[in-house]
Amino acid sequence: MRQKVIALIEEILNVPRGTVTESTMVAELEEWDSLAHVMIIGELEQRLGVNIPLEEAIELSGVQELFEKAGI
Amino acid sequence: MFMKIAVLSNVNMNVAVRMLGKSLEVYQTEGYGNELGLLMNPDSSLQEFGPEMVFLVEDLMELLGHDLEPAHAAEQIDRWFGAFSQTLKQDCIYYVSDAYLWGVELAAVADGGRKSALEQLWQQALEQCMAEHSNVRIFPYRSIIEDMGARNAFSLKMWYMGKILHSTQAQQALSEEILAKAALESRVAKKVLLLDLDNTLWGGLAGEADHTSIVLSEDHSGLAYKNLQRVILQLQQQGVLLAIVSKNNEEDAIKILQEHPHMVLRPEHFAIRKINWNPKNENIEAIARELNLGLDAMVFLDDNPSERQLVQNLLPQVTVLDFPEHPEELAPMMVQAYEEFFAKSVLTAEDLEKTGQYQANAKREALKSSITDFEGYLKSLEIRLIREDASKYTERMTQLINKTNQFNLTTRRWTQAEVQQILEDDSKQVLLYRVEDCFGDTGIVAVVVVDCAGEIPVVEEFAMSCRVMGKKIEDAIVEDVEQTMFALGYESLKGLYIPTEKNQPVAKLWEQMGYESLGTCAGEQQYRMNLADRPERVCFVQREVR
Repeated sequence: MRQKVIALIEEILNVPRGTVTESTMVAELEEWDSLAHVMIIGELEQRLGVNIPLEEAIELSGVQELFEKAGI
Repeated sequence: MFMKIAVLSNVNMNVAVRMLGKSLEVYQTEGYGNELGLLMNPDSSLQEFGPEMVFLVEDLMELLGHDLEPAHAAEQIDRWFGAFSQTLKQDCIYYVSDAYLWGVELAAVADGGRKSALEQLWQQALEQCMAEHSNVRIFPYRSIIEDMGARNAFSLKMWYMGKILHSTQAQQALSEEILAKAALESRVAKKVLLLDLDNTLWGGLAGEADHTSIVLSEDHSGLAYKNLQRVILQLQQQGVLLAIVSKNNEEDAIKILQEHPHMVLRPEHFAIRKINWNPKNENIEAIARELNLGLDAMVFLDDNPSERQLVQNLLPQVTVLDFPEHPEELAPMMVQAYEEFFAKSVLTAEDLEKTGQYQANAKREALKSSITDFEGYLKSLEIRLIREDASKYTERMTQLINKTNQFNLTTRRWTQAEVQQILEDDSKQVLLYRVEDCFGDTGIVAVVVVDCAGEIPVVEEFAMSCRVMGKKIEDAIVEDVEQTMFALGYESLKGLYIPTEKNQPVAKLWEQMGYESLGTCAGEQQYRMNLADRPERVCFVQREVR
């Protein structure tokens, strides 16, 4: 599942495979702006059924935290 | 494709805008929800961009402000189209979405017909608008949503997080449709349809004076040919020139054209007829000469593969249609060819007729509407700027400062603790604004922090949500700040602008407000206003303090 999530993030950010890892922080990637962030959260829910509560989704600062909040 | 387009919406469509940016030049929108303002304001960034096509993708629920009372909705929709009609420019094409009403509360509306009734109100207003304006077209939003289903098209999570209503899948489909429409408008439309007769307009071969032998009737494949003719007749009636290029004895063919009871197309429908045994390429060239049209304006339909091959090879500018295997596929094939090759010329021909017919009507409408320009539009919005007690909204204030990129003069990033300190600091003036308009409350949308520690007070932060940009609300805010400072005894006020990649829209703000430029110091552009000599600004915004 974690690999699928990372692949989806990479797809939305339109970055080469391997760019995003578990330790990637939102602030590190120029492509990961606020618009991309909303798309990632929305698509995780629609395509992978990964549900992160709204308030926590807004605050997310990195991939590791995303995994924790999503419980995966 | 060379085409400048703009996508305007009352919801966040930036994902689609980003997708479209890969294929054509797209207006980089400042927020959303100010479609009419951008269209009306002669000085808006949209006007500067100068789009050739404008797509208005409207969410009806937002547009109605969630007021599902039919009478209110009708009023709101009329008001929208009344204002929209005033913004239209002759040299631009407008695609306006049809309606798909969606919202969480809809399922709890007891009246099951309400959704379609409200959608119908929009549809009627849109059709009326199209009838009056030849450059307004329908954008098939509704069918895009229906095709993928609301469940896949909308995302509540994205809506809550960023006012993005449509899922990525939906934004993808919407941008594909926008691209298709742009392609349609930018290609040169065909003008002539060249038609073979035997086994094309009818089944079988025209025999010697025996027209019972051809297949053309009210049932079976005879009906399939008849339906093909019906489609072609529609093209003809909308301005496409029909020509016969067929190898027959002319007499036999004319007899069928004139007398066969199931012929839909009659001799008078054809602009030109070449029914002879000459090679088809020669006939087609003759048609081009006689009609004084280029070969590239022609589309050729023939069941015979060797004829298609011949025309393809010798006259490559002519578009040769693929011929379907079965007669029942003929009519749908023709509809597709219509959409692909003729749709625009049809519209233009139709437009010409419409224009005359509806001109008088449009004039009356214009007189009736109170909204005739940008100022009138702004007045009609009944905008109220309300200064709130900032200490009650620390969280919102922090969010505004940190999340606002476009309308942010200095792009400070302060934590909530720092904001708290600023609020407690006596040398700082913090002004926090709520905006309300005729649609309701848009919430707290702007913040100004003035640092009064030095000799001349400095506006060290000024951020405003892009939701309310383009309505001259900033003018009222600057006015309010100046009056406040003047009342506190200050004689001048300094403004700052620190350029970033995103805050271009406000690069000229201070100059526009009449401030004198003091030059640049350490990346900060500084401006100054002598408060006693403040220019008089025309304001459409009512101000109050809460």
